[in-house]
Amino acid sequence: MASKDEIALMGHLMRRAGFGATYDELQRRANEGYEATVEDLLRPEAHPPVDENVLYRFFPGMEGALAPPTNQADWVYRMINTRRPLEEKVALFWHQLFATGNSKVDNPPELTQQIAMFREHGMGRFPDLLVELARNPAMIYWLDNNGNHRGAINENWGRELLELFSMGVGNYSEDDIKEASRAFTGWTIAPKIPRNPLGRFYWNFEYRPEDHDDGEKSFLGHTGNLDGDDIIQIVVRQPATARFLARHMYNFFVADEPQVPSWNITPPRDPEAIDALVQAYEESDFDIRAMLRTLLLSDFFKEARFERVKSPAELVVGTAILAGNYNQPRPGFPALAFECAYQGQELLNPPSVESWHTGSEWIDGGSLVRRVNFAAGLMGNTTLPGIRSIVDGIREREANSPAELVEGCLELVGPLDVSQTTMNELLAQAEEDGYLRWETEEDARESEQRVGVMLALIAASRDYQFA
Amino acid sequence: MLTTVAAGRVFDYSYCIGMYAMAGQGFWSPQDMVLGPDGVVFVLSRGMEELGQRITRVTLTHDFQGQFGSFGAGEGQFIWPRSIAMDTATNLYVSDEQLHRVSAFDRAGTFLGSWGKPGTAEGELNGPSGLAFDPDDNLYVVDSLNHRIQKFTKDGTFLNAFGSHGSGEGQLDMPWGICTDREGDVYVADWQNDRVQKFSPNGQALRQFGEPGVRVGDLDHPSGVAVDSDGDVYVTDWANHRVQVYGPDGSFIATLVGDAQEPSPWTQTYIDANPDIVKARRRANMEPEWRFRRPVAVKIDADDRLFVLEAARHRIQVYNKEKDYEEHPINL
Repeated sequence: MASKDEIALMGHLMRRAGFGATYDELQRRANEGYEATVEDLLRPEAHPPVDENVLYRFFPGMEGALAPPTNQADWVYRMINTRRPLEEKVALFWHQLFATGNSKVDNPPELTQQIAMFREHGMGRFPDLLVELARNPAMIYWLDNNGNHRGAINENWGRELLELFSMGVGNYSEDDIKEASRAFTGWTIAPKIPRNPLGRFYWNFEYRPEDHDDGEKSFLGHTGNLDGDDIIQIVVRQPATARFLARHMYNFFVADEPQVPSWNITPPRDPEAIDALVQAYEESDFDIRAMLRTLLLSDFFKEARFERVKSPAELVVGTAILAGNYNQPRPGFPALAFECAYQGQELLNPPSVESWHTGSEWIDGGSLVRRVNFAAGLMGNTTLPGIRSIVDGIREREANSPAELVEGCLELVGPLDVSQTTMNELLAQAEEDGYLRWETEEDARESEQRVGVMLALIAASRDYQFA
Repeated sequence: MLTTVAAGRVFDYSYCIGMYAMAGQGFWSPQDMVLGPDGVVFVLSRGMEELGQRITRVTLTHDFQGQFGSFGAGEGQFIWPRSIAMDTATNLYVSDEQLHRVSAFDRAGTFLGSWGKPGTAEGELNGPSGLAFDPDDNLYVVDSLNHRIQKFTKDGTFLNAFGSHGSGEGQLDMPWGICTDREGDVYVADWQNDRVQKFSPNGQALRQFGEPGVRVGDLDHPSGVAVDSDGDVYVTDWANHRVQVYGPDGSFIATLVGDAQEPSPWTQTYIDANPDIVKARRRANMEPEWRFRRPVAVKIDADDRLFVLEAARHRIQVYNKEKDYEEHPINL
C-alpha cells in the first residue's frame, strides 16, 4: 500500500503530466510506483487512444465542425477521457508554445488537426516536430507562408520560427530571418474545396518547386542551397534553442516563470534545472521524451508542488475529472469549453502568436470569480458520481470530527496542501456544525451536504488555484 | 464510377438532395430518414448540442416543405434524436438516445405522444437508436446501450426482446441501425462488432454479413441497413465511408463510394451566390466532395431505388438499381 506522501507525490505528477486524477487512480498508480508511472506516461502508445468511433457516433457534429466551441469541446472531451494523459498535456504544451489562433485561421477543424499532429509527434524528436509544424496547413496560413514566394518573401513564418518557436529573440540577425524565409518559399497549401454547404474539407500541404527559391543562402553561419528542412536542422542544433525549449518546458511543467518576452533579460528561476533539461535534449539527439523523462524524475520537479497557477484548461478539466460526470459522451462538453474561455483561455484561439500569458496573469477579478464559481459548483454537488465517491470515502474512513473532515476532504481532492489561513477557515466552518453523523437517513443526508459544502469551500480557496 | 456493374447487378447514380443548414432548407448532421407517401422524405437532423434538432420535410424533387421539432426535453422535443420510422397510418416515430424515449408525430408534425423510460429491465431503454416496423405495425427499437432489440406496440407496450452483450452469434455490441425485409426477418447493424446480423422475427440468429476491416466486403462500424425486393442487403459502412452490397446469401456483391459530381439544386444556388466559392471550386480537386462521408442510413423504395444519407455531407445520394440495363460495346 502506498503511503500518504507517495499518493501526494502522485497527485503532483498527475496534475502536471496530465490534468489530475481521482484518488482511486492516484492510489493505484502510487502502488505501481513513481518511476513506473513516469515510464507509463511516457509510453502513451501502450494504451488505446480516445475511441473516435464512439466520439463521432454520439457527436456526429464534432467531426469537421464549423463552430469553434464544438472543436474546443472535442478537445476537452479528450483531455478528460484520454488514457494517455501526458500525450494530451504535451499537446496543450505545444499549443501554448506554437500558438495558432482561430481569430485569423477561421477554420477550427484545421486547428483540431494541428492538435492531433501535436498528439502524434509531440513526444518525438524536436526537428521532426518542427518539420510537421512547418508543413501544417493551419500554421502555414496563420503565419502567411502561403504568401512567401520566390522573389517576394513574407518573413512572418521565418521570423516566428526563430523568435517564438525555437531560439528566442537576440540569437539571430534580421538577415537570418530573410534567409530562412527564402528557404521556406514554395511550402504552401493545396487548393481546397471551400467550406459549405457540404461541410468542411481539410487543407493539405503542398510543395511547389516552381515557387521555391533555389539560390544560395547564408543562415547562422551555414551557406548553401538551403531549404526549409536544412533550416530546421540548423536551428535545432543551436544552444539557444535547447535553452529556450528547456525554459518553456520548465514554465509549463515545473514552476511559473516570468512571461516569455522578458526571458532574454530575466534569468531562469532555476538555472540548474534548465541545464539538466538542455543536457537531456542534446544528449538524446533532440528527443522531447528524453527531456520529459529527465524533468519528471528530477528533484526540482518533485519539489515544485503547487508552484504553478492552474491554467483555465487545467482547472476546468481537473475539476471535471474529480466530479466524474463527464467520462462518457453526453451533452455539456461545449459548456466546459466555454468555461475555459470565460476564465481566459479560449482553446484553439490564443490571443496572439506569443500565446497566453501564464502564471499569476491567469488571474484577474473576473476570471477568479469564474474559476471559483465553476469549481465550487461542481465540487459541492453531491449528486455527481465523483463527489459521491469522496463522500463515501469520508464516511468509510470515519473522518467525522471537524479536523478529520477537513483533512479527509483535502486528501481526497488532491491531495491538496493549503496555507494555515485556509486551514483555519476550513476548520472554523467544519467546527460550526460539530461532528458528522451517519446513524439515521437524515443524519447521513445532512453529513453528505456538509461534505459537499467543505469540498465547495476547498474548491473556492486560493490554494485550489495552484497545480 | 457513376455506374457500378457487379455480379449481375447494376447500380446507377442518379442525383443528390440536400445541403448543410443550421435551420430551414437543409440538414445538420442528419442521422436517419424515412420515405413517405407522395414523394416526401422526412429527414432527421441531430444538430449539435442545443441547436439544429429537427425533422425536415423535403420532396424527391427538392421542394422544402418545412420542419418540425426542436431542441429540448419537453414533449415533441429532442436532445439526441437518432432514428425515424413510419407506421402504416403514416405517423412518424423518433428515438432519442439521451431522453431514452420514442416520440410520435403525424405527417404534418403534430406531436402525438411519447413513451419509454430509462433502465435495463424489460421494456426499459438505454440509448435507443434504430427503429423499424414489422409487417404487423409493431416497432423494433434498437436498445443500443443495453445491447438488445426490443419490440413494442406503437403505443409503447413491451412485446419481446432478443440479443445480449457480446460478440458471439446472436449477441450484439452497441447496435445502431435496423430494418426488416418482406418476410419480416430483421437485420441489425451490429456496430462495435463490425457486422450485420439477420434474425428471424422471434430473434433467432440466421446469418451474418461482413467481417471487421477495410478490405472488400469488410465492415468498420456499420450504421444502417436496408434490403431490396431481390433480397440484396445494403449496409452503410460508416467508418469506411462506403456502402457495401451483399447478396441474400451473404456473399459480397459491390461497393458504392458516392458519386455526387453534380451538386444538388440547393447547393448549386448557394455556390452561385458566392463568386469566391465558384472560383475556389474551379481550382480544387473536387473528388472528395463526391464521395460518401459518414453514411448513416440507407433506404430502398418500392422501385428499388437506393437512398444513402450522409451525416457529414448533410446530403442524400440516390441510386437506381437498373433491372434492364444493356451493356454498351466495350470497344466503343
